[in-house]
Amino acid sequence: MILVPLLLSLAFQQPDGRLEGHVPAAALPGIQAAIAKAVQDSLPTEPLIEKALEGGAKGASADLIVAAVNTEAGRLRGARDLLRHAGAPAPYSARELVSVSIALARGVPEPVVTRVVSAVKDSLPGFALHAVADLQARGFQPDSSADLIIAAVGAGMSAHRLLDVAAAAEREVQRGSTRPQALARIKSILPAVPPQPLPPGAMQGAVRPRKPATP
Amino acid sequence: MKNELDPRIHRALDGELDPAALDAGERALVARLDALSRSLSAVPAGRSVAHRVMAAVRRPLATPIQRFRRWVTSPQPITVSLRPVYSLVIAVLLAALLWRTPEGPKPVLGAEEGVAQFVARFPEAHSVAVVGNFNDWRPGATPLSDDDHDGVWDARVILPAGQHEYMFVVDGERWVPDPMAGRYVDDDFGRQNAVLLVRPHRTQQ
Repeated sequence: MILVPLLLSLAFQQPDGRLEGHVPAAALPGIQAAIAKAVQDSLPTEPLIEKALEGGAKGASADLIVAAVNTEAGRLRGARDLLRHAGAPAPYSARELVSVSIALARGVPEPVVTRVVSAVKDSLPGFALHAVADLQARGFQPDSSADLIIAAVGAGMSAHRLLDVAAAAEREVQRGSTRPQALARIKSILPAVPPQPLPPGAMQGAVRPRKPATP
Repeated sequence: MKNELDPRIHRALDGELDPAALDAGERALVARLDALSRSLSAVPAGRSVAHRVMAAVRRPLATPIQRFRRWVTSPQPITVSLRPVYSLVIAVLLAALLWRTPEGPKPVLGAEEGVAQFVARFPEAHSVAVVGNFNDWRPGATPLSDDDHDGVWDARVILPAGQHEYMFVVDGERWVPDPMAGRYVDDDFGRQNAVLLVRPHRTQQ
């Protein structure tokens, strides 16, 4: 019984440890309130801490940082509601929520996001959503793009290979196909989409970024 | 040349003759010789060579650690005899090793990690860093390098698989979204972050 309030107080103190000195002191109460609300709603707090640190690093004012943290919390809530609506099994990780949130921010319509999430509910939706967003950014229709990506998932392609599907459709357009033709062509060869090769030596000399441990 | 002392002065020095019986010159000589004798007797007796040698011989043996330290710190002649054909083989092997070394060792990655390569062209920049949610947006945490000074900056970073938002910081103060990212989202601070997708290492190969 004594441990519970102690652990709770620690959980609330740790974000401050990362934020102090990196965001204006005037922003701390507002950020803390947003984090407390996120904990109440069973939302991940790490994206909120990162948003606050981003604002601090970019020299934003205290008010703007608090507003951005609250906006981020709202996006996470929206993503959670969408995942529930799509029938994705709870609980939702920060990675899942952020991937849905970013797909919406990249302009993928909510019904399309819901459809893709429903189709890949057994695996992380991030790569599928980004593949649709990539196709949409290259001028493909969102619904048709989602059809192709859902077909790729149905053909047994892993989530990480879905970006190859989007890249292959783009290459078809570069070869002279119209966009509908490109989508139909790639759909017909699924799952035999060639992977994008890494440039030679891309793995050499890689380093890990310095970041304090996540609380 | 014979250097004899007057017997009277000798006797006076030995205390057998009262110096008052001598003339003034003789008394002065006696006094000088007496003073010289006293100064010589004040010098401590020197240790003989034999004494010093014996003292060194009797010194206790050095411990193995002291002997090893003496061996390491004192100059040692090293002679390597090598047939020309072997030296040629060794030279070829060393050249091959040096040719491979600049790439560095391959990093060890976890199952859910991948490598992101950041490349940016900033010809006038003195420093470029990538900042994002993977390094708490700290400008100094992940610098890019431009070893050949051609204005193209580069870094390879191990990141967890998934999506990451990032920007470049040029010369420590100018925040620039990656112009080659192709994926962007509003950052809520009036700018745009680039979005990076990292695939797990096992699917990158």
